[in-house]
Amino acid sequence: MNLLRKLAGNRIVFLAILIATMTAVMSGLSPYFLTVDNLLGMTRFGATMALLAMGQALIVLAGGAGIDISMGSILSLSGVLFGLLVWKCGLDVWTASACGVVIGGLLGSVNGLTVAVWDFPPMIGTFATMWAYAALALIITGGVPVSGFPESFAFLGQRTVAGIPAQIALAVMPVYIILQFVMSKTAFGRSVYLIGINQEAARFAGLSVTRIRFFLYCLSGLLAGMGGVIMASWLMAARPDIGVGLEMQALTVTVLGGIDIFGGSGSLAGVMLAVLVVIMMQSGMQLANINTVWQLAVLGVILLGAVALNQALSRKTSN
Amino acid sequence: MGITERIRVFKPRIGRRELFTLFLLALEVVVFSLVADHFLSYRNVLNILRNSVDLAVVAIGMTIIMIICGIDLSVGSALGVVAILVGWMLNAGVNPFFIAGVAVAAGCAIGLVNGFLICFLRIPDIVATIGTQSILRAMVFFMLGGQWLTGLPPVYGFLTRGRVWGVPVSLLVIAVFYAAFWYFLTRRPAGRRIYAVGNGLETAKLVGISARRVRTLSYVLCGGLVGFAALLYVGRLGSVEITVGNDLALSAIAATVIGGTAVTGGRGSVVGTLAGVFFMSVMKNGIVLFGIPSLWERAAVGLMIVVSIKVDLMLEKRTLRRQQQQLSKQRESAWAARRGEGAAS
Repeated sequence: MNLLRKLAGNRIVFLAILIATMTAVMSGLSPYFLTVDNLLGMTRFGATMALLAMGQALIVLAGGAGIDISMGSILSLSGVLFGLLVWKCGLDVWTASACGVVIGGLLGSVNGLTVAVWDFPPMIGTFATMWAYAALALIITGGVPVSGFPESFAFLGQRTVAGIPAQIALAVMPVYIILQFVMSKTAFGRSVYLIGINQEAARFAGLSVTRIRFFLYCLSGLLAGMGGVIMASWLMAARPDIGVGLEMQALTVTVLGGIDIFGGSGSLAGVMLAVLVVIMMQSGMQLANINTVWQLAVLGVILLGAVALNQALSRKTSN
Repeated sequence: MGITERIRVFKPRIGRRELFTLFLLALEVVVFSLVADHFLSYRNVLNILRNSVDLAVVAIGMTIIMIICGIDLSVGSALGVVAILVGWMLNAGVNPFFIAGVAVAAGCAIGLVNGFLICFLRIPDIVATIGTQSILRAMVFFMLGGQWLTGLPPVYGFLTRGRVWGVPVSLLVIAVFYAAFWYFLTRRPAGRRIYAVGNGLETAKLVGISARRVRTLSYVLCGGLVGFAALLYVGRLGSVEITVGNDLALSAIAATVIGGTAVTGGRGSVVGTLAGVFFMSVMKNGIVLFGIPSLWERAAVGLMIVVSIKVDLMLEKRTLRRQQQQLSKQRESAWAARRGEGAAS
């Protein structure tokens, strides 16, 4: 029991063991699981989730009941706007990609305005934008996917760089390395943790809690915008409903990765491992031919289980 | 006077905030009736009433939840699951009163699960209800199996379409529910405890209220109301679609927030929520009448939630500042008086 608790307490070891077990079980069940095709497909699928989860993780870390449930809708809307920039305005696809990412940041800044500056409860502020953005994406496109990207654009979503899928090598890995560095080695990163632990103390220490939270919501929007562009490249079409349910996946991955839902503790490394766990699970369920509707339910169970586990552990360590 | 007595004596009136929502509703009705002639026709008003009855019932639950500073995103999928259960039982020819009992009980059970996750496993409201929402939504998909439940026996049609002594039953249902919950929330100790917990969890605990029990009960109440709303839904449409209750949480939260329930908890009334519900359904109706694509409704509702919370928070801050100014003035004059006394002696 004690050993179990220690294992669960060290989230990274816990997740690594989970991944190893899952790999063993699934490659035993299906010879297809450990093939290059499947691994590549899985990581491509996980790229967007990883980007969103990093944004979500930082927002949750900064405390104040922080949560961003509008990320999926930001992803849809910025992807669609990016698509229209290419299709309707005839913008060069890479310039448009940069615009798409910036648009995501702008959409996120609306959350920053309501939640950080105006002091809305994050759950309601982002709930409102979630619906508004999703509706706007459908209105703008009339519900029809935007396509007509040049062939060269497929590079980002479908090719590899030195054997690694391009979206991992060019987006997820750089973002992760930068954020990991910022969170663990810079004053800004430490101040995010401090705000999450005690925002009053952070205020007295002279930190602008408002400004930092505002920035984090913008960052989360930027990452969602990046996800939107990558999704568009992967499918070679910008679907207005592509982001539905992604916020829930991002949240699940975040808490499974050991981020305390009340903020202040957890690491991005855990989140990345949790992304692996979730995509392996989804891929495994697909290989095992389990009805896709159950994936949603299983995610829900993992979400609830992970938070309950975190809470139980934190109670034990605090007492 | 004991604490419980004081809770019982306290009588909140219909505040200015509720009047403001009523004013908005009136403004909306006037504008719409000027633009579209048949907006105020008897048939259209009846139509609005009929279409808002299930939202009205769910919004009571959402108001209670938001008074205790929570949120429930699972109402839509919960309504879906219960509605499918009701549909199955209707097809099997079960006694309608028994079905109604089962529906409310199933709703309460879902609420109890939410309450347990939130109060006993200490999962934040939003995360817990996102989790249950996705599990329940998966159940909706699974139970329907890709096919709609259509052509259900019109047993509950009476609840939304019927008439008693010339009064539409939908109006009666709304009146009965809102009167009952208005009485419960303002005149019963159990209802006052909900406000007490919303105003300050720790304070409520200090006066001996079991915050855990009150919050769990609030979620159970909300679930039960959703269960009953499922009956109304089935009665109104006679079918259950795969998208059942998709934007119910959005509408209910919007109605509650527009109706003046404070997002910071502790303040709000079902009267305001009722005005918010009608505001929403009049808007939905207007959007259909004017031929605007219905997607605009969601965007507009999202914007309205933001605007109304912003206005509320601004007003709250202003009253807080005024109170503080008054307090400091009183203090200053008290000090001045004391200094005067000191000088005199």
